[in-house]
Parts: sequence; structure tokens; C-alpha cells
Amino acid sequence: MSEASMIGLLTAAVSFGALLYLAALGELICEKAGILNLGVEGMMAMGAVTGFMVALETENPWLALVVAMLVGAVFALIHGLFTVVLGAEQVVSGLSLTILGLGMAAFVGKDAVGRPPGAVLAPVDWGALSDIPWVGPILFSQSPIVYFAILVGVATSFVLTRTSTGLALRGAGESASTVDASGHSVVQLRLGAVAMGGALAGASGAYLTLSLTPQWTEGVTAGRGWIAVALVIFGAWRPGRCAIGALLFGGLLALKTRLQTFGVDLSPILLSMIPYVLTIGVLIIISIRARNRPSSAPAALGQAYRREER
Amino acid sequence: MGRLVLVRREQAIKGGQPLAFLIGIVTALLIGILLLVISGHDPMAVYERMFDSSVGSPRSWSITLNRAVPLGLAGLAVAVAGSMGLWNIGAEGQILAGAMMAAWIARIGEGWPSPLLITVMLLAAILGGALLGLGPAVARAQIGVNEIITTLMLNEVALRMLQWLIHGPWKDPESRGFPLAPILPDEARLPDLFERAHWGALIALVVIALFGLVASKTAWGYELRVAGSSGETARYAGISLKRKIMTVLVLSGGIAGLAGGIELSGNADRIVEGVSAGYGFAGIIVAALALMRPSGVAAVALLFGAVQVGGLSIQTMGVSSSVSTILQALILFGAIGAGVFSKYSVKRVRKEQQTRQGSQNE
Repeated sequence: MSEASMIGLLTAAVSFGALLYLAALGELICEKAGILNLGVEGMMAMGAVTGFMVALETENPWLALVVAMLVGAVFALIHGLFTVVLGAEQVVSGLSLTILGLGMAAFVGKDAVGRPPGAVLAPVDWGALSDIPWVGPILFSQSPIVYFAILVGVATSFVLTRTSTGLALRGAGESASTVDASGHSVVQLRLGAVAMGGALAGASGAYLTLSLTPQWTEGVTAGRGWIAVALVIFGAWRPGRCAIGALLFGGLLALKTRLQTFGVDLSPILLSMIPYVLTIGVLIIISIRARNRPSSAPAALGQAYRREER
Repeated sequence: MGRLVLVRREQAIKGGQPLAFLIGIVTALLIGILLLVISGHDPMAVYERMFDSSVGSPRSWSITLNRAVPLGLAGLAVAVAGSMGLWNIGAEGQILAGAMMAAWIARIGEGWPSPLLITVMLLAAILGGALLGLGPAVARAQIGVNEIITTLMLNEVALRMLQWLIHGPWKDPESRGFPLAPILPDEARLPDLFERAHWGALIALVVIALFGLVASKTAWGYELRVAGSSGETARYAGISLKRKIMTVLVLSGGIAGLAGGIELSGNADRIVEGVSAGYGFAGIIVAALALMRPSGVAAVALLFGAVQVGGLSIQTMGVSSSVSTILQALILFGAIGAGVFSKYSVKRVRKEQQTRQGSQNE
């Protein structure tokens, strides 16, 4: 195992980790407000195709990123409309959003398949920092979206734990009627969280097509939206723990294509089962612990809230 | 000024769900027209082709029927769990598990007479799906682990398992490097019913009808609904929730597994990565549209089968087959939107009234 290939693995682990982390943070915010959105895979696909198409048209990767986030947010609000406003089943609506998103992305991007990217987000140059051995390439030569993901992680943690908005948001996911009685609008809080979730999933998708694998093909998201959903649970709904999980799951994604380089005789396909198996394990542990003390899962997750029926 | 709120009607509008379903279809078709026009296609020509290829002739019907079989069984699997208020999001993985088990029997059962081989294949498929449902069932019943997440995760695990098999141990030596399992022997293929339709349609119909009867006519089915509507009531009535949860989730997995076995034996001629074309996920929409009722599942599955077959047929016109994917999701959104209004009415609430209501509730 050479030093270069080790550095390559860790660099890719951070890149893939940021991809998963962004989408997972969005889902985390959404779930904290009490809304389970299984549409992550679809929202990512929408972000990916939007980012790529806008970059093709305008050759401006930053504009592409912003539009992808907007489209992600608007798309997520379909889920918001049906679950938050109309009180539909969150599981059904979310899965339909995934199906709709994958379908729409394929439809919109049909003519963009195989085309070279209009623009890509160039890695940030940190000057001397980028030249430090190991740390330079791994941490200081990444796409700007990686640093954005870290920023969003810190901000999410701060807002959720230290601000009144964060408190109200978590309240909407724990006991909606209490938050309602305290003068906050549960509908607004939840819609905001859903839109934020969509924007971050959109950014994650755009990161794929603007940076990681700058091209559009149907199915470019390759189930990573589901890993993001898993990651929220793996991280027990905490931004910090999710970051550790993101590095771990990202590392597994990175390792998948590198197993042979490291001389490991294991099928890369079996390796890619690990995140899901680990998540099931973590969920079981959380559930066993929840018998003796409050669970870390938002108590009202998945429940519609109708003011008139409280 | 006031704001609009949804108020539950004293009685849901009669025939609300079929009507909502119809509104869903119309909404979907209208939005579909918009999409097609924007992308420069003639929507009527596209819809006509979709209609002709899915229900325009006995041959089209037979293709649609084949497609409706896995959709209907997956929908039933979801509905069985749903009638007790449980979510089986793992039908997709269970279908794959069923297909893998059936393929495994076909591998070891070389030379068996066809009826025996197919029967054992389908039984193994049921077992495979049930086994994949067993884990989430035990975890939910014994420890209270959320079955939505466990079944969802197992989808990905089953898919990786299948990929591993066709890239490795089961890879066809004559596939020129493509990840495909060898073609099934003729003895392992379900016989034809008419045109392209195979016996799977009959099997699915019997299973769906059987469950419909059990659910509506037996004490077991009654207990299931009681347990689904209120766990508390169920406990008073002496119904063992743990056992019900176990049975229902394992049964649900078994039904989805059967769908995989039938799909392999009747439709796909070998195990490939796309042996289930998202039937497990579509099954969730089917069940939701059918309000978790078996009779509704059959009808919705037939419609979705037709939409999917239609979607495949328009590719030759240069239209993306994703149109049918979009239509399916839109039908659901349209129908749940309309469904809400059959149970709720919109009322304008004034500010003062709102606060008074609030204080009454406190």
C-alpha cells in the first residue's frame, strides 16, 4: 500500500463524505421538525440534473449550484404541501417524491446525457496549506462544496441547540401542540425545515455533477440518497455524529473502487452493504436504549399535525 | 382577514376514494401534456401510443397483465402490513430475495419435472421474501425498532447481494463479461396463459382474492384491523400485538417474495440487476392508492401496469420512458390531494375565532 494511494483514499473519503453529509444534514433538519422525507434520492437527482443543465447553459458553476438548491427546495415543498399542509402519509409522499424526482431528472436531462460539462467547481487553492504533506491534499485541495458542507454542519448544530428558532424547530418534532401553544407556527417551521432539506439535497446532487463526476447520466445518484437517510439514524440525529458517520460511509464508498489497489481480496459489492448493516445495528441499539431513557429520535417524527384535532 | 384551515367533515364524501383516484389520473395526464408540449412532442400522439400498446389489443393486454402481476403482489404485500398500520418499505428487496431463491432452486433442480420445479421455486421465493421480512418483524415486535428504516435498509442489502451473485458466483460464463446469471432452463418457466401472458396473473389473482377474503371474513382479519386502528383496544380484547406484528410482516415479505419468484419464472429469463423494475416501491404507491384494500390493489396494479407498458412503448417515438414514472407519481399526488378534500372541507377562520378555539382546547 503506497503513500499516494492512501492519500488518494482519504481525499476521496472526505469528498464522498461531504456529498453524503450535505444531504444527511438536510434530512436531519427535516426529521428534527417531525417530517420524514424519503424523497432524498429524488431531490438529489433533481439537484444533479439542474446543476448540470444550468452549467451547460450559463457556464457559471456557482449559479448552477444556487439554482440546483432552489429547485431542490421547491421540489421538496411538494412533500411539504402534502404532508405538512394536507397531512398525508409521510412515507408514501416521500417515496413518491423520489419516484417523481428520478423520473423528472431523467426526462429533463435526456439530451444532456454524455455531454461534457459546461463548467465545474474548481478545487479551492489554500496556498501554502495545500502543500502540507497528507493534510494538504486531503483537507486543503477539495471542492468548495466540501467546505460548504462543513460550514452547514456547524451552523446546523449551532442553530438547533443554541437559538430559539432551533428550539422551536425541535419542538415541532417532539410535541407540535406545545410549540403551537407557545405561539410558533408549526406549519411554517415544518415547511421551512422541509425546504431547507430539499435545498441541501439539491446542493449534494449538484456537487455530483459539478465536481465529483462532472457528467449527467440517468441514475447518477446511485442510491446515495438512501445512504443519507441511513446516515441521519447512524448519527442519532446529531450533526457531529453524522459527520463522523459521513467520513466512515464516504470512506467505504471511496474504498469500493480501490480494494484491488490495496490488495484486498473482497468483493467491493459486499463492502457497499456495510453502511446499511451498520445503520440497522445502530437503530437496534438506539431502540434498546430507548426503553430506559428518552430516545434520541424526534418523538413526533412521521406524525401529521392538525391544529383542529390536537 | 382570516386564514384557511382544513376541517374534518362529519362524514367522508361517499365514493370519495374512487373519485379522488380519477382526479389523480386526470391531473397526471394534464401535467403530462404540459411536459410533453414543453419538450416538443405531440401529447395526443404519445398518449395514443401508450393506450394502444397497453390495452389496445389482446396482445397488449397480455403484456400489461404480466406487468401488473409483480405490482399487484407488491401492492398486496404493502397493504397486508398497512392494514395493521405497519409499513413494509422492503418489498423491493424482498422481491429480489424471492427471485434469488427461485433462481437458486432452478440451479439445483436440474432435471426435475417442470411442475415440481416451478412449485418448489415459488415456495422458495415466498420463503426468501419472508426471511428478509423476519428480521424487521422480530426487531419491531420484540424491541420496537422502526420497521420503516429496517425494511428500507434491507432493500439495499438485498440488491448488493444480487449484484454480488451476478458479478461472481452466478455469473454466466458465456455472458462476455456482462453481469448476468445464466438463462433459466425451459422447465423453470411458467407456462403461457394467452398471448404473452403467463400463469402468474392467475396466481396473483388467487393470492389477492384469498387475502381479501381472510381480511374481511375471518376473526383473524378483524383482529388485524382492530390492532391497526388502536393498539390499546387490541390489548383489551386480548389480541397479542407482538404475534400479530410478526405474522403480518413475515407474511408481507412472503407475498413480495412470491412476486419475485413469479417475475423470474414468468417474465425475466435470468437474474439481472433490474429483475425488479422498482416494483417494490411502486407497490407502496399502489397500496396507498388502494387504501390498503386487496380489491383496490388489483385494480390500481392493472392501471399502473398499463402506464408502465405504455411508457416503454413511447421510447421508439423518441420520448423518454420516464414519462410513465412521472405519471405514476403524479397520479398518487393528485389522488392524495383530492382524497384529503373528501374527508376535509376548507373553512376560513377569523383571527378572534381562532384564539377562542385555541382557549377552548386548552
